[in-house]
Amino acid sequence: MSEVQRRKYSQEEKNSIFDGEFMPHIDSMYNFAYRLTFDEDDAKDLVQDTYLKAYRFINSFEQGTNAKAWLFRILKNSFINEYRKKSKQPAKVDYQEVETYYNSDDVDFQGTTDLRAESVKDMLGDEISNALNSLAVDFRTVIILCDLEGFTYEEMAKILDIPIGTVRSRLHRARNLLKEKLKGYAQHMGYNTDEEE
Amino acid sequence: MPSIWDTIRTRRNNYRIRMEMNQESSGQRKMECSDVNKCFELLESILDGEMGDPGKEVLKEKLAKCQPCFEHFHLEQAIREVLKNKCTKQAVPNELAKSIREKIQEVK
Repeated sequence: MSEVQRRKYSQEEKNSIFDGEFMPHIDSMYNFAYRLTFDEDDAKDLVQDTYLKAYRFINSFEQGTNAKAWLFRILKNSFINEYRKKSKQPAKVDYQEVETYYNSDDVDFQGTTDLRAESVKDMLGDEISNALNSLAVDFRTVIILCDLEGFTYEEMAKILDIPIGTVRSRLHRARNLLKEKLKGYAQHMGYNTDEEE
Repeated sequence: MPSIWDTIRTRRNNYRIRMEMNQESSGQRKMECSDVNKCFELLESILDGEMGDPGKEVLKEKLAKCQPCFEHFHLEQAIREVLKNKCTKQAVPNELAKSIREKIQEVK
C-alpha cells in the first residue's frame, strides 16, 4: 500500500515506537505464545523472536495503526513456520478427527440447556484453562484473540489471513467445541447440568 | 375445494400464530427457536460488538422473545467472563523484557 512512500524511521523514532508501542504488549504476547506452545521456554523464545522480527521490520509498521494486531500477526506466523513443527506438545487429542468433524457444516450445539451459566461461573481457572487448551490450535487461537485479547473480527482476519466470514464461523465452531468440553467438566465435577432446579 | 390436509394445516397455523401472540402479549418467550444455529451465531456476533447499535436492538428483541436465545446469551456471557478473568494471568518471566532489549542492542 503506502509502503513505497513511507520514509524510514530514525533511530530515535524506532526506539520510541519499540518502547512505546511494542513493549507494552509483552504480557498479552507471552500469554498467547504460552497457549500456543504449552511450554515456558518455547513461549519465551517465540516472544523474543517476534520482538526481534518486529524491530527488524519496524519500517513496515505504520505508526498510528494497531501495533498489537501487527505483533500478534508476526507471532502467529512465527509459530506456524517454526514452532508448530517442533512443538514439544504431544497430541493429547486427535486433532485431525476433531477438525474434520467440526469443519462439517452441520455442527449445531445441541446442549445449550444442559450447560448452565451458573455452573460455568463456578468453574475453577484450571478447568476453563484446560478446556481452552484442549481445543485444536485453530479453534483455540480465535477464542484467545477474540475473548481474551478483545480483537475485532476485522483485526482477527488480518492476523490470521482469513476472510471475516471465516473468522465468524470458526469462532462459532470453536465456542461450540469449548461448550462441549465445559459440559464434560461440569458433568464430571457434579455441577448442576440438567433441568432440575 | 381445499383438501382436508390444507384445512388442517391452516388451522394448525392459525393456532400457532395465536399461541405466539398469546405468548408475546403475556410477556413469555417462545420456547423454540426456528434456526438455532444461525440465531446463535448472530447472537455471538452481537456479543462480540460486531453489529453496532442495530445489534443492540436485535439483541433486546431476541432476549425478550426467545427462550433459547435468552439462555444462550447468558451462557455465552458467563463463558466470556471466565475466559477473560481466568485465562489471561500467565505470569511473564521477569527476565524476558530485559533479554529482548539486550538482543535488540546487539542488532542495532
